[in-house]
Amino acid sequence: MVRAALATKRRIGQGPRPLAAFVPMMSVIVASLLAALPIITTSGWFPDFGFLALVSWRLLRSDPWPAWWAAPMGLVNDLFTGLPLGLSVTLWSATMLVLDLVDRRTQWRDYWIEWVLAAVLVTIDEWLQWRIAAISGARVPFMAAVPPIAISIFVFPLSAWIVSRLDRWRLGR
Amino acid sequence: MATARPGWSRRAQYGLFFSFLALLAGILIGLILLAISVLAPDRFATIRGAALDVTGPVSSSFHSVTATVEGVFTGAGNYWDAANQNGELRRERDAMQRQIMQARAIMQENRQLKAVLQLREHEEKAIAVGRLVGSSLSSTRRFAILSAGKNDGVQIGMPVRAPEGLVGRVIDVGSFASRVLLASDRANIVPARLLRGGIPVISQGRGDGTIDVRPLEVGRNPFKRGDIIITSGTGGLYPPLVPIARIIKLDDDGAIAVPIADPSNISFAVVEPPYEPTAQADTP
Repeated sequence: MVRAALATKRRIGQGPRPLAAFVPMMSVIVASLLAALPIITTSGWFPDFGFLALVSWRLLRSDPWPAWWAAPMGLVNDLFTGLPLGLSVTLWSATMLVLDLVDRRTQWRDYWIEWVLAAVLVTIDEWLQWRIAAISGARVPFMAAVPPIAISIFVFPLSAWIVSRLDRWRLGR
Repeated sequence: MATARPGWSRRAQYGLFFSFLALLAGILIGLILLAISVLAPDRFATIRGAALDVTGPVSSSFHSVTATVEGVFTGAGNYWDAANQNGELRRERDAMQRQIMQARAIMQENRQLKAVLQLREHEEKAIAVGRLVGSSLSSTRRFAILSAGKNDGVQIGMPVRAPEGLVGRVIDVGSFASRVLLASDRANIVPARLLRGGIPVISQGRGDGTIDVRPLEVGRNPFKRGDIIITSGTGGLYPPLVPIARIIKLDDDGAIAVPIADPSNISFAVVEPPYEPTAQADTP
């Protein structure tokens, strides 16, 4: 990070943690595993934790993991959250691709643009889940998917903050 | 991959290119998996079951923690006005006992009548008993994780009920845990009837914890607020006479109901064999 490099105080003896390269991936898998929390909800308004973590990492850094790792991480998410197998694999890989294109096109970025990007991606995610559910026999009005979208969008800053703290921790800054 | 060209290094350029190819392959594989899981949902039964076995025990162990904490608080609350509760419970018990006597007499009469009609009696036997330890948190589908699996004899398609009423049916099964399609899921259609009057209706979840009920025959809206919907046993999967939902709101040609066995409140769930054994094969 550029801002960290400009900082004057460099403490001696601090460097990346062991396995720092795998921390982002592990944190996304842990976020996916939050689906195993013993919460029984009748409305299903919780955000898609794994996807939020993935987007947060990818918006923070361009290289949290080699892009193709998104596919196996998506598979893990599908298995643990009970989504139809392949949905997250496709969506997460496509997200990596889209954000690479966005990186090329945008000249500058700030928090608002990142939030808008995350909001668009989360909406696409929920819409796709809704569409696939409709195809496999559970057609509900799209209004049912609006509250979880809103909640996810408002949870994103929190997720981005946690991810940035985690990034500083793993790099020993 | 922040910039189009990582520099003059051939190695870095190729690395970037192959990473891009791998990403495309990931999308392609994902699409194929998605197509298979939409068109043939039972194809991945084994791997989904294995994933359930990973998360199921975790959820179960945390569940006992949350249940204990909740139990302590409600327990403390119950001590608060024990005297009042005591009197109320005593009155309820007396009323219950009178009703039990009536019910016994009715049951006896019923048995005699059935013997006259020579109806075959289905014996209800539970296959397994488990707790609901988790649920789908973030989609319009309504699943719950049950802490009983293949080792307890649970199979895909079996109906699940609680003492209070119907919960749903098993759709994925691991060795120690299984996934239940709740009655409030849109894809769970239960043949039912109105307890008052026995009018046949169809119950279908709405994906948000409530249930849509529609009469089979078009015409006057037969529902009233507070009506109880019970299973009819048609189709042979769910046993008859299990309470499903209570009506809370009427709409144009049907009504909206809430499940009587609230998945977040029931203490345990019972897996039963399909009412007619042949019905299991028809419901993936």
